[in-house]
Amino acid sequence: MGTTLRVLVAIPAYNEAGSIRTVVQRVRTSLPDFDLLVVNDGSRDATGQILTQLGVMTTTHLCNLGYGRAIQTALTYAQRSNYDVLITLDADGQHYPEQVNTLYTEHLRGGWDVLIGSRYIESHDYSQSPVGRRIGMRIFSWLVRLVGRRHIYDTTSGLKIIRRSVFAPLTRWHFIDFHAEAIVYLLRLGYSVGEYPITVAERRHGQSMYSLLSHVTYPLKTLLILLIAVVQAELTRRSQR
Amino acid sequence: MTTQGSIVLIAVGLILLFWILDLVRRDRLYVGYGIIFIVTIFGALLVLLAPPLLRGITRLVGALFPASALTLLALCFIVFMLVYVLAQITVVSNRLVIVVQELAIRQAKASLEPRPPETNSEDQSARRGVDR
Repeated sequence: MGTTLRVLVAIPAYNEAGSIRTVVQRVRTSLPDFDLLVVNDGSRDATGQILTQLGVMTTTHLCNLGYGRAIQTALTYAQRSNYDVLITLDADGQHYPEQVNTLYTEHLRGGWDVLIGSRYIESHDYSQSPVGRRIGMRIFSWLVRLVGRRHIYDTTSGLKIIRRSVFAPLTRWHFIDFHAEAIVYLLRLGYSVGEYPITVAERRHGQSMYSLLSHVTYPLKTLLILLIAVVQAELTRRSQR
Repeated sequence: MTTQGSIVLIAVGLILLFWILDLVRRDRLYVGYGIIFIVTIFGALLVLLAPPLLRGITRLVGALFPASALTLLALCFIVFMLVYVLAQITVVSNRLVIVVQELAIRQAKASLEPRPPETNSEDQSARRGVDR
């Protein structure tokens, strides 16, 4: 594996006291060559104390800014610290850090700007998700194909490998959760976005970041920002010519 | 509502729609506020383009006339002011986000820097105590 590149693994965490210790330890064991950063997004539980005990490098938001902003903090940190690659992982323990090595190798081999760890690229089967989320994922996958001209099956995956070339565009504009809207924005700007199969575990601790209300507001907000992302990408391309 | 009135209101609605979209695009209006306005504008346009619907609503709320020019003008002013105020709130909120992110990054970077050697003032005070 090419170890000459500087790689940062970033884990955005909000109230993940139940799982963060295990996730950090597994990342340290599985990915010893990579640096680790946890973005504590204003957690109100013991997440901050656990991170201090573990001695892990942490950026602490004084208040909860949301998943998208936490990822943006990690991107900004990686950009300023001259990292070549940023890997994002969820803090709930659903991702297996052991799989990141395979994903990273594919990222280097394929020369992707963004490589998404995908739960659905092989099976194309969304049936394990709740009905509402299943419909949403199908719609956003279809929209990404329509406006981004590339079929991405898992637009909501939190496991991504991001090359330095896209740090700037991803911090220059605003996104909600770095999901479908960010994918479309990058595709329209001409960056390469791919998927690679992964498996995920069931969430054991904490709660999903999607509340009941957000099941209604999230698709609407993502839809709006996705359409605006198309316009923004076009304006950015014109300004760069 | 007269045809002329409908055209004017539709034009106002479309201007507002493009303004909202542009504000969201430039990160000057939070996307959640944008959604509320867009849904409202489409609802208003639907009512304007379907006179029977407007008449039905007029009967439902017990109003005598489908529209009052003064009320509509006042309403338009309030809506535009509301967009302006929300845009200002969004701008301030975004600045707060930048401050919180910047502080978090600087703290993390500072924790990596080597600490200057401590002067060990406690030891010195203790020694002074012994001397005394």
